[in-house]
Amino acid sequence: MKNEASPSTNIQTATAGKRWSAASYGGLLAVLALWPVFYRSTYLMHVLILCFIYVLASVSLRTITVSGQFPLAHGAFMGIGAYIAGMASKWLGWPGWITIPGGALGAMIIGVIIGYPFARLRALYYAMGSLFFGIGVLNFIAAFGKYTGGYSGLMGIHPIFVGSKMPYYYFFLGLTFVSALALYRFEFSRIGDNWKAIAQSHLVASSVGINEGFYRIFAVGVGCFFAGLAGAGYAHYNLVISSSSFSFLATLWLVMYVLVGGIDSFGGPIVGTFILFLVPEMVRDLKYYSPFVSVAVLVLVVYLVPKGLVGLPRLLWPNAGGQRTTGKED
Amino acid sequence: MGQAVATISNIVILSSMYILVALGFAFLFNMLGLLNLAHGAIYMIGAYIAFILIAALGFPFWASLVLATVVVALLGVLLERICFRPFVGDFNRSVMICVALTVLFQTMVNIMAGAKTLALPPIARGVLRFGPVSLSYERIITFVIGFVLLVAFVLFVNKTKWGQQMQAIAQNTDGASLQGISVHKISALASALGCGLAALAGCLMGAFLGIGPFMGDQMLVKALILVILAGIGSIGGIFLAGLLMGALNAVLPLVTNGAASEAVAVAVVVVLLLIRPKGFFGHEA
Amino acid sequence: MFFETRSLTRAFGGLVAVSKFDISVNEGEIVGLIGPNGAGKSTFFNLVTGVFPPTSGQVVFEEKDITGMKPHRVAALGIGRTFQLNPLFGDFTVLKNVTASFHLHPRSSILDIYFNTRAHRRNEAYIGEESLKVLHLLGLESVEHVLAKNLPHGYQKLLGVARALATRPKLLLLDEPLGGMNPEEIDFTLKALKKTREQGVTILIVEHNMQILDLCDRVVVISFGQKICEGSPKEVREDEQVIRAYFGGEHAA
Repeated sequence: MKNEASPSTNIQTATAGKRWSAASYGGLLAVLALWPVFYRSTYLMHVLILCFIYVLASVSLRTITVSGQFPLAHGAFMGIGAYIAGMASKWLGWPGWITIPGGALGAMIIGVIIGYPFARLRALYYAMGSLFFGIGVLNFIAAFGKYTGGYSGLMGIHPIFVGSKMPYYYFFLGLTFVSALALYRFEFSRIGDNWKAIAQSHLVASSVGINEGFYRIFAVGVGCFFAGLAGAGYAHYNLVISSSSFSFLATLWLVMYVLVGGIDSFGGPIVGTFILFLVPEMVRDLKYYSPFVSVAVLVLVVYLVPKGLVGLPRLLWPNAGGQRTTGKED
Repeated sequence: MGQAVATISNIVILSSMYILVALGFAFLFNMLGLLNLAHGAIYMIGAYIAFILIAALGFPFWASLVLATVVVALLGVLLERICFRPFVGDFNRSVMICVALTVLFQTMVNIMAGAKTLALPPIARGVLRFGPVSLSYERIITFVIGFVLLVAFVLFVNKTKWGQQMQAIAQNTDGASLQGISVHKISALASALGCGLAALAGCLMGAFLGIGPFMGDQMLVKALILVILAGIGSIGGIFLAGLLMGALNAVLPLVTNGAASEAVAVAVVVVLLLIRPKGFFGHEA
Repeated sequence: MFFETRSLTRAFGGLVAVSKFDISVNEGEIVGLIGPNGAGKSTFFNLVTGVFPPTSGQVVFEEKDITGMKPHRVAALGIGRTFQLNPLFGDFTVLKNVTASFHLHPRSSILDIYFNTRAHRRNEAYIGEESLKVLHLLGLESVEHVLAKNLPHGYQKLLGVARALATRPKLLLLDEPLGGMNPEEIDFTLKALKKTREQGVTILIVEHNMQILDLCDRVVVISFGQKICEGSPKEVREDEQVIRAYFGGEHAA
């Protein structure tokens, strides 16, 4: 048949693009791992630790969206992981290496249970259902004040490291890095392809034998596992947790990190969290004015780079053209 | 007996407030397809504008109420033009801009007035007594205002030309514009109405409960719940759902402690949603 | 009987889309299911593949009752299909559309996939080769790396068929494969389908375009959800009821 197809694509630049991202993330990792050698700042360490935790949460949130579902309870699943770990640590005295995976597993199991009734409905209903679940969970937690500390919070969680923040810092850096690798592998394997297939056309996906319901729940399970992991880690770092930190507002901000960074790109949430969380924290001296930084970033993204900040290099250097093997970047 | 009357009046007032806010929210959603996450902030801003007028400029309560509503309605027109209309259909962008607006308003208020809860002067003082029952004038007036507004709103949507045009746009935007309906103008009007209603509700609720920069957050969630429970596209459903929510929020705190009552209310909603995820009355989006 | 439906019925409220429909297909045949627009053809396919269940009646494939089975299980049993409106994996390239559709054969377990074991890598290599073969069969090898959403219409339709073939179907259900094609594309498609049958695939085609009749061994005609005629292409072409259904009465063709 005559070749009347649209302009051909250029996969060499796609590979070049991949190498460039890998290099920049590698560079970032190196900077993050090495700066404490040259510069002392407990405050910076603290902020970066929180940043890593939110990166883990936002990347895992985005992973769920790859399957076409929009989880609006991600903050609550962090909370579930945090409370499981926190309560096990406080009341049962279990050590961190049990409670943290335990919190992650608990969040995963509950996520799967909640996701199950919505697995076969349209993705919109999962969004709504998870929204209410998230709101309900917190009230539920607060209601059982005797064990959870109620509205004032759960205190007296045992730390996993004593002394300085340094071991915490490298722990969370490592945890987030390894988790990101794990999530990356999910997304760029046939499992991820199946998710993307379902997201693009669930009719076609099921007609080629992909079990929609299973893969949707699987995505939710994976995402919630890492959300719980982030929450459990947080519990053992902050040593105090309260339900208000895991409210819908928390989820909304995680969603903002993902959208601002770029929902179509794996690294998007990483960029988004650094810019939307870290930067306002760093300009804390502005006190009440620091939220304006977030507003500025959001407005900038909405009007200039709506696909997310990962698209900024392309905006500034448009000559790196060509297409990739999928319509989305990695 | 007095308790019952107080509870019923609570239910009625809470319901009408929730419905007012939810209607404005639903309007924007049905007509522009916009999930206006800034609606809570608009509700809050109305209350603060009234506060500024009363406390800083010494305006009387009623004038401030009306003025705040009008100002926010105009703000609604502006917002529709620059923040909502350009992003119709683009969920990601509209969500981001709404969060930006919310943070902007909340920060502005925080800087100007602080985060403490402030009090708006009551609408009226005094209590009406008949027999063993007493009801504050405040409640009566609030209820009357709310009721009148809701009736006016329903009449407007169903009987006036504009209202019908709005319904047309909500059902089929392209068809409506082909019929000569100016979608832009009507959308602006809808936004003005929706935001105005929210602002008014903010003033009224603020008079009862006090105002704070984050008072809109909870209200937004409630409006969202109402719209979802009612089903997309249904106005009548919002009334019913609003009544249910008002009842839950008024009655539950009497039987259990605060946190549990919230939990039960949400549990009820979740169960209802599981029964009928598409909402109870609306047509599918 | 290789494939048959018995008294298959589907009502949507008061509207009966498919009414007591019986059809049977022998292995190796190409059977055409034709009828005017709105006759119930696509609904029929959706019933067979489990997109929604029938109100009554049965679907039997290779002696197994598959009535109401979920689409992914129907696919696993060996029935592949295309869709009339031809949804695709728009953000995937042509090649990836096909490799993604090789989900079933060969099947790697989730663990194999995740840890990229040798077995998985072998499967993926095999899938890569087979996908290219399928693309070649349908003349799509030249657009291998184009995003599916950027393809011209005719190519998209062929991609739909390629996707269905990736499931290694024993029975292939084609829903209006010629829709929107120009004569050259139609010609090519008919030839490709003939080749497909030669490779041992039984085909059931739903079509509105009468040109498909040249390809079919047998034809069944549906109108208003009911079978009104069945026979060889020649018989059907000359049948009075068919002519009336297509050209006369309430149906304007």
